[in-house]
Amino acid sequence: MAQGSFDRRRINGPEESFPPVFDAVEEHAKIWSARRDRGDADIRPIFLQPGLISQANGSAYIETARTKLACAVYGPRQSKSTTYSEKGRLNVEVKFAPFSCTRRRAPLRDAEDRSLSVAIHRSIVSSVCLELFPKSTIDVFITIIENDGIEGCIASGSIAASAALADAGIEMLGLVASCSAVVLGDETRLDPTEEEANASDGIVIVACMPALSSITNVWESGRLTANDALKCMEMCQDRCIDIHSVIAQSLSSNNKTA
Amino acid sequence: MSVAANQSQISQPQAGAAKQAPQSDALRAQIFQRLHPHAYLDRFLAEGVRPDGREPGEWRDVFVNVGSISTADGSALVRMGGTTIVCGVKAEIAEPELDSPDLGFIVPNIDLPAICSPKFKPGPPSEEAQVLSERLNEALISSNILPLSTLVISSGQAVWCLYIDATCINYDGNAFDAALLAMVAALGNTTLPQATFDPTTSGTMCSRAVRVPLSLNTSRMVVGLSFGCVGGSTPSLLADPTSFEEPLLTSTISVVVDGEGGVVSVERNALGDSDCGERELFPTPGTGTLDSCLPAAKDRSAILHKLLQ
Repeated sequence: MAQGSFDRRRINGPEESFPPVFDAVEEHAKIWSARRDRGDADIRPIFLQPGLISQANGSAYIETARTKLACAVYGPRQSKSTTYSEKGRLNVEVKFAPFSCTRRRAPLRDAEDRSLSVAIHRSIVSSVCLELFPKSTIDVFITIIENDGIEGCIASGSIAASAALADAGIEMLGLVASCSAVVLGDETRLDPTEEEANASDGIVIVACMPALSSITNVWESGRLTANDALKCMEMCQDRCIDIHSVIAQSLSSNNKTA
Repeated sequence: MSVAANQSQISQPQAGAAKQAPQSDALRAQIFQRLHPHAYLDRFLAEGVRPDGREPGEWRDVFVNVGSISTADGSALVRMGGTTIVCGVKAEIAEPELDSPDLGFIVPNIDLPAICSPKFKPGPPSEEAQVLSERLNEALISSNILPLSTLVISSGQAVWCLYIDATCINYDGNAFDAALLAMVAALGNTTLPQATFDPTTSGTMCSRAVRVPLSLNTSRMVVGLSFGCVGGSTPSLLADPTSFEEPLLTSTISVVVDGEGGVVSVERNALGDSDCGERELFPTPGTGTLDSCLPAAKDRSAILHKLLQ
């Protein structure tokens, strides 16, 4: 990957380097054609561990098959800006580790991290009682260690962020659970892998607070009929109830051991 | 915690023994640690222990896990006490430099992102990260752990360029040792696809099926071992300092040891005038901090090398 310019703050390699080109593209044995390991409405198992980052006020590590990310919450701490704000500020920053994607990600910030930050911010911001933290900022940092599709990163990122906020003891209206779905032909599948998402007609990501049965964020892209989109949302919402109990359980078992 | 509580603690070091206050002991200790870190550490060392319960020369537990990241060509996760570092190797193909057509590239970098500690801010690499990257590069290049000539695909045409990126997830001191261990472990786990250079198209083709491990110089597997010196009433030499101890050190010593116990480099950063109480610790002339560091580093390196196998 061509490096934009010489960066004197890092160790630099050659001016240009390219990811390897592989011979005969494996016949795409239609990896997405049928799921062998799970049903269409099943999600991959979630491993969620709050409190791994000891330096942070709250943290969570989440792993769903090949999506792995760590999230840390710092705050509430004093806002840097001089203007007075009655409500607290929630700041979400997502960073990809350079080795997290199939192509190496040069460490310069690109647009993808931002769009992910915005999506995760929207998913969790309405669950946090920001009116209780005047003049302060809550920083949520997410590092993606391994990426298996942006949809999975947004969903897992929202779950991890919500768990980390709870771990930090920040008051919230409810825990946020999030799930993604794709439409492939006439099938609807939850929690798609990267291959499935690339082959799909459209993608829906839903973030909600199952305890209050309210939706905090919906993200839809691709070409979907209104009925399909609604069906996806319903399926996601149902599954979020299960995810919610996973988060709640990991938080309470972490509390017991701590 | 109230302002009054803070003030009552400020006078404490002068007053000597703690007077009973209405708060719990744990909270008082925490406030004391925040306000008087030097005195806090000093009192522990006077008893011959460190705040985390270790003896001065004791190291933290190390855990190494390799190959857990499928998007990287090689990866390792290292936990050294609280310090957690993930390292991934990504291989790309580049043209060699004109003056060295038979040398590949290795590009080690460490990132200390805002996620790992409240003292780091988001944005470009901090000075600390830049210095660390430079030291890691120095250790990997000077040890010749991976001869760059083994990365050649076709002389003068195409070579492998290995990006060795380490990311700190949790920063609890001594990132150099942890990062070097993670990088060496990740290199040991790295496999490259079999590549052939086609002169007619001047392109390189890689095989999907065949992957070969790097030809590492196993006798040159380097590990870093860091020590810190503290002055105060009980000058001590602390092995593997934590993030609480690091800012209180008067000088640090980093030793890099290879697989056969040979010393690759020694680096000492002394600040201020303290000689780590060397005269008190080592009254015999001709001995000093370094003389006690080197054997300790060699002993410890044997344990780390076992982890790398």
